[in-house]
Amino acid sequence: MLNRNPRTLGAVAASIAIALLAGCGGGGQPQTNADGTPLKVYRHSMDGAPVNLDPVQSAVVYSNFVVLNAYDTLYSYKYLARPYELKPNLAKGMPEVSEDGLTYTIHLKEGSGFIDDPAFPDGKGREVVAQDFVYSIKRHFDPKNRSQGAWLWQGRIVGLDQWKDDGADYSQDVEGLKALDDHSIQIKLVKPYPQLTYTLAMGFSGIVAQEAVEKYGRELSIHPVGSGPYKVERFSTAKAVLVPNPNFRQEPVDLAAEGFDPAVHGDYGLDAIDGKAPPFVDRLEIDFITETASRWASFTSDKEVQFTSVPVEQIDSVLGSKQPVTVSDAWAKRYHWKSGVEAGFIYTYFNMDKPYFGYNDDPAIEAKNKALRCAMRDAFSWAERNERFYSGIGTVFPGIIAPVVPEFDPSLSEASVTQHMEKAKQQLRDAGWTPETLPELTYGYSSAVFYRQVFEQFRGFMNQLGFPLAKIQGRTFATFGDFNKAIKTSQLDIGGLGWGLDYPDAENTLQLFYGPNRTPGSNNPNYANPEFDALFEQASTMQPGPERTELYRKMNEMVIDDCVAITGMSRNKVYLWHKNVVGVPDREILGGFWLKYVDVKTGGSEE
Amino acid sequence: MDTLQYALRKLVTGIPLVLGVTFISFVLMVYFGPDKTYELIGKNATPEQIAEIRSQLGYDEPFFVRYADYLRQLVTLEFGYSDSTGERVSRILTRTIPVSLALTLPGFVLGNVLAVVLALVAGFYRGGLIDRAIMAGAVVGMSISFLIIIIGFQVLLSSSYGINYFPVRGWEVYSLADYLYYVTVPTLAIVFVSLGYNTRFYRAVIVEEMNRDHVRTARAFGTPPIKLLFRNVLRNAAIPIITRIMFSIPLVVISGSLLIESYFGIPGVGKVTYDAITTGDQPILKAVVGATAVLFVLTLIATDVMYKVIDPRVSLK
Repeated sequence: MLNRNPRTLGAVAASIAIALLAGCGGGGQPQTNADGTPLKVYRHSMDGAPVNLDPVQSAVVYSNFVVLNAYDTLYSYKYLARPYELKPNLAKGMPEVSEDGLTYTIHLKEGSGFIDDPAFPDGKGREVVAQDFVYSIKRHFDPKNRSQGAWLWQGRIVGLDQWKDDGADYSQDVEGLKALDDHSIQIKLVKPYPQLTYTLAMGFSGIVAQEAVEKYGRELSIHPVGSGPYKVERFSTAKAVLVPNPNFRQEPVDLAAEGFDPAVHGDYGLDAIDGKAPPFVDRLEIDFITETASRWASFTSDKEVQFTSVPVEQIDSVLGSKQPVTVSDAWAKRYHWKSGVEAGFIYTYFNMDKPYFGYNDDPAIEAKNKALRCAMRDAFSWAERNERFYSGIGTVFPGIIAPVVPEFDPSLSEASVTQHMEKAKQQLRDAGWTPETLPELTYGYSSAVFYRQVFEQFRGFMNQLGFPLAKIQGRTFATFGDFNKAIKTSQLDIGGLGWGLDYPDAENTLQLFYGPNRTPGSNNPNYANPEFDALFEQASTMQPGPERTELYRKMNEMVIDDCVAITGMSRNKVYLWHKNVVGVPDREILGGFWLKYVDVKTGGSEE
Repeated sequence: MDTLQYALRKLVTGIPLVLGVTFISFVLMVYFGPDKTYELIGKNATPEQIAEIRSQLGYDEPFFVRYADYLRQLVTLEFGYSDSTGERVSRILTRTIPVSLALTLPGFVLGNVLAVVLALVAGFYRGGLIDRAIMAGAVVGMSISFLIIIIGFQVLLSSSYGINYFPVRGWEVYSLADYLYYVTVPTLAIVFVSLGYNTRFYRAVIVEEMNRDHVRTARAFGTPPIKLLFRNVLRNAAIPIITRIMFSIPLVVISGSLLIESYFGIPGVGKVTYDAITTGDQPILKAVVGATAVLFVLTLIATDVMYKVIDPRVSLK
């Protein structure tokens, strides 16, 4: 009888085709567990590859995704609740915060263990203790680790910066970062930092074991030894294979507490995991596929990756409607789907350092420069940007407080994101600009066809405004690193950028315009508004609430009024996944955490 | 003994070549390559952190100190760790080169063997219908982009729009059956794309040989076509063919095939090299450049020795 297994069929066909051996034995990884039950494999796909799995270098979304599954964090996010809500992960409860907001005490759950690994005596993973957390945060301040996450705690925790300056000696205690006992942590802050708990839910705060760092050194980056739900069995730039960590704590899922809403999540089969302890799959494979044609072919072959974001070139064939986003019946019948706005946004910044364009010692010239920037913003069409490059499904919004955060103001005027070409031309004339006097501006972008097209569209808008084409010059960079260097050294006048939120708090985007964060910090426009900075500092120690939201919104309006950037739009993604997969994917704030809950139905064909 | 002496002499004279290649490459890397610093920094880096990273990458060292360090690494074969992944460079190469070899070797061998056979047939029927049909096929193969060929084969053989027998992606090789399962489609793509170029080149060589007096004599003598082609034509045309094949080997070993590896999700050295070039991962680049230079020298020696084996009239001096 012919075996219909594609692998066997393929092997047979290949054998015949190249006239090699007849009857080659099938091999491959086992497809069943030791008890004979079918192996549950979930095969995820991502549109980029992580390069480094050390938590201190997990800045890139792809690294963070895997790190959150290999390493444990004190906090995570509720699986299904939106807006995003924090919840204890390795921590027993939310932090106990002193009245002055300066001291955080966090108790750890007992019995959570690192994976079994030769780094530990007898190869047996030991229990995670408070000292591991302290060690893990200290690593960010050890220069040899090239941390990408130190900025989260820099100047925030008492004594930590000094510990670095004193030579990063791990035997030395840090006053503001202590293990009170094996299961209690105390963090003392220099000043209140309401976002601290969010930072403890990021991959950067993944808890590592000192033994593993000592054994693997720099190669911890490819050999994660964590206490997360999975153990990384194999990792390359093409694929990561993870298996459950048997030492992971047994915590049954409480769907109601995770924010389950039958009206929203009822079709995804999640009730199957309610009351059971994750992880549920026997093997988690993550394919890193940058080529959209390959990812799409793999997904639609129905025997490989079980999840994909819909590539731009397939959007028109997959979607039933764009406003609101729905997929056509044929695709909805075949796959589960979901769409969602990204936790972040794209924008075009103006470099305020340039005296012919930004700040100038002469108030008259500065006012004239501002009129120029505002005219450029008003000449820009977000509607066309959205339609041309993002399938028309992005969410355009005014300012820098993205729709995904609770502080977003849906009632804010959209004048700053609506094209007013005639008004823009009038602004130029009123300020005395002519095609001859307009400055020559350099727009930077990474060397790729997409970015070139985006630049040309920008240049087209500016040309309509009155800029001679030669006065908007594109400057390409072979790599993102070189592009980033040009930004951080203030070489460019204009650049297109994106920002992914680290946590669901508008402070994370407002800090992009905070004066002291000027380049090489994250304030790429080098915006320096004392009033903005004072409000930012005032808000930075406040707990969430209407008063803080009011300050955030004032800052947002300042950025709009000063025409520091053309902003913004949150891109919308459409996800498809196979019907035998139980789960609700999310790659935004929740990120890799959701893979802990994924399950696969076995036995029988897909629904 | 003469051959051994010749090989050793060539090996010694290859040293300046390796030095020259590595020096020029290193100048390009240092002065024209990407600056890795700004890929490694965090979102809110301070000037001090940038300086720390530059120092760790060795960017603040004088050029000749860095080049001397590179030469030391070449001699000791210890290139340190990748600046991107943190993995030891030697481990990366020993992990990925065998995969690339296993991936590209069948296509390389088949692409050359088939091309030689087609070139012999085309040369034998020079100017006729068969010759024109083969050359037309070769032009078609040369004209279609490798990317289109890959996607075309994936759609035909690996997707639900085609026969869907083979995988789109992956490299889970534990047995011969697995190997055939994963290597077939990439091999077909490699053969398809290489056949055109190879056939045209080999045909030109064969045609030139076909016009020689000794071939005409053999034909007049009544030598059967197969014997004529393989003994009188191919053997005498072997030197340019071998030269082409031999000098492709270092590229097959080191470069792998970037597009094939990317589109089929195969963790080979081609993708590693490409990523290193685009991100300025100098430890990997230094190793790849050095290894390629050394391999070329070895190939050069092996090719000369093979000339002697094939044609005893060639003297190794």
